[in-house]
Amino acid sequence: MDAFLRRGNGGDEPPTVTEDPDPIEELRRLLLVAEHAQVAKIQERLDDPEIHAEDVSRVLPEAIAIRATKDRELTRVMLPTVEEAILSSVRRDPHVLVDALFPVMGPAIRKAIASALASMIESLNETLERSFSVQGLKWRWEAWRTGKPLPEIILLRTLVYRVEQVFLIHRKTGLLLQHVSATSAGVQDADMVSGMLTAIRDFVQDSFGGGREQSLDSFKVGDFTVRIEQGPEAVLAAVIRGNAPPELRPLLTETIEAIHLEQAEALANFQGDADAFNRSRPRLEVCLKTQQLTRADRGPEARTRKARRFLRTALAVLLIGVAVWSFFAIRRSVRWQGYLGRLAAEPGIAVIDSGRRGGKYFVTGLRDPLAADPTAMLAESKIAPESVIGEWKPYQALHPEFIAARARRVLEPPATVTLRATNGVLLATGSAPHRWIEEARARSRVFADVARFDDSGLTDADLSELEALRRGIEDRPVSFDPASADLRPRDSVRLEALSRDLSRLARMAVGIGKTVRVTVTGRGDSTGTEDVNRAISRQRAERVTRALAPGFARAVTFVVRGVGSSEPLRREVTEKDRELNRSVTLSVAVAGGAPEGSR
Amino acid sequence: MIQKKVCMLGAFAVGKTSLVARFVRSLFSEKYHTTVGVKVDKKIVAVGEEQVNLLLWDLYGEDDFQKLRTSYLRGSSGYVLAVDGTRAETLEKAVILQSRAREMLGDVPFVLMLNKADLVDRWEVEDSAIDDLVGQGWSTFKTSAKTGAGVEEAFLALARRMAGST
Repeated sequence: MDAFLRRGNGGDEPPTVTEDPDPIEELRRLLLVAEHAQVAKIQERLDDPEIHAEDVSRVLPEAIAIRATKDRELTRVMLPTVEEAILSSVRRDPHVLVDALFPVMGPAIRKAIASALASMIESLNETLERSFSVQGLKWRWEAWRTGKPLPEIILLRTLVYRVEQVFLIHRKTGLLLQHVSATSAGVQDADMVSGMLTAIRDFVQDSFGGGREQSLDSFKVGDFTVRIEQGPEAVLAAVIRGNAPPELRPLLTETIEAIHLEQAEALANFQGDADAFNRSRPRLEVCLKTQQLTRADRGPEARTRKARRFLRTALAVLLIGVAVWSFFAIRRSVRWQGYLGRLAAEPGIAVIDSGRRGGKYFVTGLRDPLAADPTAMLAESKIAPESVIGEWKPYQALHPEFIAARARRVLEPPATVTLRATNGVLLATGSAPHRWIEEARARSRVFADVARFDDSGLTDADLSELEALRRGIEDRPVSFDPASADLRPRDSVRLEALSRDLSRLARMAVGIGKTVRVTVTGRGDSTGTEDVNRAISRQRAERVTRALAPGFARAVTFVVRGVGSSEPLRREVTEKDRELNRSVTLSVAVAGGAPEGSR
Repeated sequence: MIQKKVCMLGAFAVGKTSLVARFVRSLFSEKYHTTVGVKVDKKIVAVGEEQVNLLLWDLYGEDDFQKLRTSYLRGSSGYVLAVDGTRAETLEKAVILQSRAREMLGDVPFVLMLNKADLVDRWEVEDSAIDDLVGQGWSTFKTSAKTGAGVEEAFLALARRMAGST
């Protein structure tokens, strides 16, 4: 039949009844009249595109389904057509496609935007939160030190985190499907944690959440953040220590999506046996991320450490420096205060102002020129003179010692004189030459700070000497032999000495503006007559005067007397007494401007 | 290992928490119980050859069932109805809770624990009422969280039935 049909179908002659009756043809027509009608019908079907399309449409879905299971050829073949169709549809009227996709795209776009916003807000919050904390200050310091912009530093520092545990939880039952942990320590019973996490999520959703889309995405417990990423069947919960970066969320999302894709069947049929989810372990382990940036990029960290060590050393050096500086500063200050104390105690120095200016000490005040030298005093206080600026204005101090000192400078007293000042009185003690005393009396009257010059305690050295000489001269009588007016040879030395002393006395007296009168008195003893005695006594006086007088022509006035025995030096009992009375004595008078009390 | 979620249901102060505590060690603090309204404990029991990990959701007992968070029931493979044998009204509550749980979970295994069995002289629940429930196919156990009597047995029975139902 097949062959026949093929022939009938593909033959040169059309399968119709012809007028030219061929017996064989006729026979065939008679024999196959029913089949012929069928063939004609089939032919008609094949030729009619409408009927043909109808036929294909009946088997098309099945055909596509069968082919799709065999290979991807159908997809490949159809792809350009479908693309073309979509393109032309969009070109013709974009609204059609927009309307079609809207229910899908709307939530998808919303979700994407919400997720991006959440990430952004998260990092923004982080930044703001850290800005004014100690950490923030540290970052600012670091930014300033390294010259990097602050956001970069914050980014660098906030990225330190570790995902410690990841739970894959069956959404409906809260049962644990899989659990991976970065550390073995501190892992609580994971299946109970899983249950509690689910309970907490349910609680939050019941209490605050509205629809299914609004659910607990993350919460913080101390250092830990729990990030929850939910799929339709399972939930991924990551326990993160430290600051979870926003980039972590996409990873969790991808992971939960991949698990849903790969284990869709196991999730749908979950009856409490979690073994099937061992397959997802590697995926969860990928989520156990530790901040890699600083680990992998050792450079900056090492540099930071180095910088930190440098800082620490610098700080130590600084501290030592400060300590040393403080020590010296304190010592300097103590010395300076000591110096100021000394200045204050020093007579003739009055400090008006002192302090520190331009790294140097300064002191201003008044200073008596006779006072101690402030610069020299610096050395006593162990202060370098160049570190101090001193400004001193001269003045006269009224301290007694300064009054005395000034008097000394003017009066120039001899070493034997001591000058003191008390209550405006200048006291002179000791001994001084007559002339100095006279001058001091005159000059001291011009001292503004001296009311009176008191020299009652002062001995006139010249007058004392004169007096001593006088006494020595008067105490040496020159004796004569009885009834003789001749000098005894043995007295010549005595007379010479007498002459020398007298001459010295005369010189001194003249030196201080005085005149000397020497009364030469001759005597006789009580033997013999008084007339004779008187004459001889006068001769004796004249004789001595002659012996002494030549050297004192102008300076000394000699008065010669002969008194006989009327003024005996001693009452005559023995020959010795008589010998003493047969003598000449000198009496010296210093006169002319002689001071009171001079003898 | 098979895991099963089990909810503890019952009126206020019937001793649900004590029953769980008697049965397992407690991991989470009581704080969860009052704030979140649930505390999860676990206990591994052997059912024949198999180990079954029971995750016991101890729900905060409320007198008004409306206040119970039904979302906590979701996904339970079984539940425990706890009754205070010395308070007859808690049995009525248990019956109401059972119907609610069945609405949510369907026909999953459950057991009724008539707790405080040690307080014999104050016992209120009529045996006839229990017989009634047993007649409806309920499995009931007299338990005492205080002495431990019947507790293990009741949980094991539930575990066995849940394992069988998979």
